[in-house]
Amino acid sequence: MTRTAFALQTTPKVNEPELIARVLAGDRLAGRELYDAHAPRVYRLAYRLTGDAELAREFTQDTFVRAFQRLADFRGDAAFSTWIHRITITVVANAMRKVRRLRERETDLSDLDAAPTPSGSRRIDPDLRERLAKAIDGLPEIYRTTLIMHDLEGYTHTEIAGSLGVAEGTCKSRLSAARAQLRAALAEFAKEYES
Amino acid sequence: MTDENRDRLDELLEDAARTYNRPPDERHMPLDQIWESVEAQVFPATRRPTRYAQWLRVAAALIIGVGIGRLSLMRSSSRPPVTAGPIDSVARKASVKVADVQPVDPATSRYLGQAAALLIALPAETNTGRPDEAFTKRANDLLLTTRLLIDSQSGSDPALRNLLEDLELVLVQVVRLEKERDPSRRTEMELIRQALDQRDVIPRLRTAVTEYAADD
Repeated sequence: MTRTAFALQTTPKVNEPELIARVLAGDRLAGRELYDAHAPRVYRLAYRLTGDAELAREFTQDTFVRAFQRLADFRGDAAFSTWIHRITITVVANAMRKVRRLRERETDLSDLDAAPTPSGSRRIDPDLRERLAKAIDGLPEIYRTTLIMHDLEGYTHTEIAGSLGVAEGTCKSRLSAARAQLRAALAEFAKEYES
Repeated sequence: MTDENRDRLDELLEDAARTYNRPPDERHMPLDQIWESVEAQVFPATRRPTRYAQWLRVAAALIIGVGIGRLSLMRSSSRPPVTAGPIDSVARKASVKVADVQPVDPATSRYLGQAAALLIALPAETNTGRPDEAFTKRANDLLLTTRLLIDSQSGSDPALRNLLEDLELVLVQVVRLEKERDPSRRTEMELIRQALDQRDVIPRLRTAVTEYAADD
């Protein structure tokens, strides 16, 4: 599946322990190399979770600033990518609580109509797509993050579990719960649509 | 819940992967801009001096040369005036003539000394990527004094005015260097650098330094 390819394509091939040691010694170029290896995935994930280019940029920046500032705390028990994704999710989740409160006051439903339909995608009823988008937005944050990482970005359960700091079984049950909620939301919509 | 619904959900999620909060392609991600901000916060002390900072060092060295030349000239201003040799009009415009320089007041002399001291310290300051706040504040104060002197009687001396104007330009750059972390300032600084190039500041300063050296 092409979705899975997104997550795997950018898997870093650099010698990370060495890079990290160089960064800790103040090597700016090593910092850039480490950044280049992970920034695209972090930005993608931040964008998926926020749906906003400016927020994705801001959160990606915050993620790397925090990661570099706390790099001495990184013990290497998990992969660096897992560690930095955990930071990303924390940064986004904390910041989005504030953003969501603001957005609730100024929700503009017409924005959803502007979502582009990429060429090559199957024809999906725009109302249904909108309903699904709303249903995803409405999921509890832990379910939404799991669903976006797995079903939209192609992360494995192992990667997600590591990033969220939970067991793989928890991750799977969250995904299952997220899908069940989406199905319920869409079933409601199907009834409305038919009547 | 039916099997049909399950299939439909999978299909919808595949569509959502292409449409829901869809990120741009990697080549359209603002990764370089993000790195600039990260770098400024994480690696401020190890940032490589920019081409601009390197240029500033050259300009500062030349300005110092002019300043020292001026100061020595002021000290020897009691000597009889030196008559300028046969110099054509183009060279006269481009160079600073010893005979044109008039004695300056002690405050101006002190100011030139302070400016020289500041510019001597500039290369060490820019080694860390940008000057610290105290350094920039001092440059700002000297910039104000420079502008006052340009508008004062000292500015009526063509040679001193030339020097003051060149100093003003360099001090403006030093003050702006403080703001270099802000990416939006980069374009503006590049424009200033271009303006300085177009004014041939460095060739003019080289000429002046050479003349003072010859005179000494």
